[in-house]
Amino acid sequence: MEQGQMIRGADAVIKAIAAHGVTTVFGYPGGAIMPIYDALYGSPVEHLLSRHEQGAAFAAVGYARASGKTGVCFATSGPGATNLVTSLADALLDSVPVVAITGQVSTAVIGTDAFQEIDVLGMSLSCTKHSFMVTNVDELVPTLYKAFEIAASGRPGPVLVDIPKDVQIAMLEYKTPLQAISAEPEHTPEQINDARELIEQAKQPMLYVGGGVGMASAVEQLRDFIQVTGIPSVATLKGLGSITIDTPGYLGMLGMHGSKAANLAVQECDLLIVVGARFDDRVTGRLASFAENAKVIHLDIDAAELGKLRLPEVAIAGDLRQILPALSQNLGEQFASWQAKIDEMKQVHQWRYDRPGELIYAPAMLNRLANKLPKNSVVACDVGQHQMWVAQHMFFNRPEDHLSSAGLGTMGFGLPAAIGAKVARPDATVVTVSGDGSFMMNVQELTTIKRKRLPVKILLIDNQKLGMVKQWQQLFFEERYSETDLSDNPDFVKMASAFDIPGRRIFKACEVEAGLDEMLNSEGPFLLHVSIDDAHNVWPLVPPGASNQDMMEEMDKQT
Amino acid sequence: MNNYSLALNVQQRPEVLERVLRVARHRGFKIANLSMQINSNNSTSIDMLVESEREIGLLTNQIDKLIDVIDCRVLVSNSTTALAK
Repeated sequence: MEQGQMIRGADAVIKAIAAHGVTTVFGYPGGAIMPIYDALYGSPVEHLLSRHEQGAAFAAVGYARASGKTGVCFATSGPGATNLVTSLADALLDSVPVVAITGQVSTAVIGTDAFQEIDVLGMSLSCTKHSFMVTNVDELVPTLYKAFEIAASGRPGPVLVDIPKDVQIAMLEYKTPLQAISAEPEHTPEQINDARELIEQAKQPMLYVGGGVGMASAVEQLRDFIQVTGIPSVATLKGLGSITIDTPGYLGMLGMHGSKAANLAVQECDLLIVVGARFDDRVTGRLASFAENAKVIHLDIDAAELGKLRLPEVAIAGDLRQILPALSQNLGEQFASWQAKIDEMKQVHQWRYDRPGELIYAPAMLNRLANKLPKNSVVACDVGQHQMWVAQHMFFNRPEDHLSSAGLGTMGFGLPAAIGAKVARPDATVVTVSGDGSFMMNVQELTTIKRKRLPVKILLIDNQKLGMVKQWQQLFFEERYSETDLSDNPDFVKMASAFDIPGRRIFKACEVEAGLDEMLNSEGPFLLHVSIDDAHNVWPLVPPGASNQDMMEEMDKQT
Repeated sequence: MNNYSLALNVQQRPEVLERVLRVARHRGFKIANLSMQINSNNSTSIDMLVESEREIGLLTNQIDKLIDVIDCRVLVSNSTTALAK
């Protein structure tokens, strides 16, 4: 474009998006965003049409989480924008960089209850990191640049930009704004010394690793830290993939459905090094007795997390890529007897998959799937029992290979997130593992798969129940199964075929191997519908209000 | 119950007061007194008296994260009687 040439606000939106390296956006058009869709027509930025704005925004989340880039979604005013709320809230709780662009009614009629008008800026306050409404076309491009900067900097998160229709059609001269880079907190040498002193004094230290490591691109630094210090480790749901399962001293996930070894080790440790994690209640169980005898070193980019739930002895706000190497400098392995104890715990409490009976045992199947997946794979989960089985029994090379709605726990996340992941990483094998409850919550996105022939693999684990709620009713509500029976589910294989997605249903353990192979080896998308016994629950389980060492052990009827 | 007096300097944006109020409510702080003043340099001053059982850092750390907040200071951190007018 020549300098001085005037373009529409809508064209500037597409140009600003392209300038940020975004190659695909996800969205759904409507009245108030039509100029932007007009600008999109024929532009180099690709658009993937979802069939519900929640699906579009979750695809943007999946795109961002699988690639580390910022995801972008479009929606129109009113219902388009309100349909984004759940996905934006999900991105806020899981710190995912997303820019949502919404059309708005023209500035002249804002506040008149115009057709498809809702106060989107007001609505956005509790579900975004930040939000803007652009009322002057001269502010449009600088605002978009700010939105991308805010979404990806510090602790990442969703940013919404609401653009009235008259601003979209107003003319402007596109100038790349001078960008102020957000100031990030930095650690001091004193903080590092204080933390190192605690590590040197510790006899039984543990690393508690959260999603912040992946978000900070600090996986290599974390792995080096573990290799140098030999400190045993556990991970949160979002931290999975930061540490490979063959790492000495790594005990998998901790928390409500964590491994017994992980929870016991954390309860016994005398120093807890918290790396990009936030003491979530699903991790800590009863907070007052979580790692009760441990001193705490808390490392996070977000200063507001330091001391929010547990007062640390040393708190360091800053970039993990710098803190971790500084911390491990001149430290050596010094925890041999603790490491031996950890190895023993790992051995004693390892998962078992040797289950008698003809029926399919989902944990064993998921473990087989993990072993079959190629190195470049992404698994996107929904929410519920299957999600916890994935976290327990699958393993991942990188945090960006495991997409799970952790903070918000949003059913319906998996399918659209897998779509976004496949767009971001076309060479990766992308599998969504879903449950019969969750799958129906964004099932319209099967059309999105059909539209682009996206080879997304769907592993649908079906117990004809809203399983996790049923499990709690069984254990904590005297088996009063209120509204958790889903035995009127549709015929999933038939439904998939209506979207030109081939599928197969399996019932028996002896069919698992061939079923998984068929799904993974098929060229396009595939649905493997797996019927399991509804008696299977997720174990172990820290009951509500209990401490993490008081885990309930398996009590399922053997089938 | 603890009382805290806060002084905020924020960007002049139409929704900035809503952002601050929302965070205060959501994080468990009751606003007992509030005044705001638009300044000539595109900033706005907000003085707030808040009450809570919670420690003030839980609020100020979250207010500090708001993009439009330039700074947030705790002027007085006190018991109920000292601040009663």
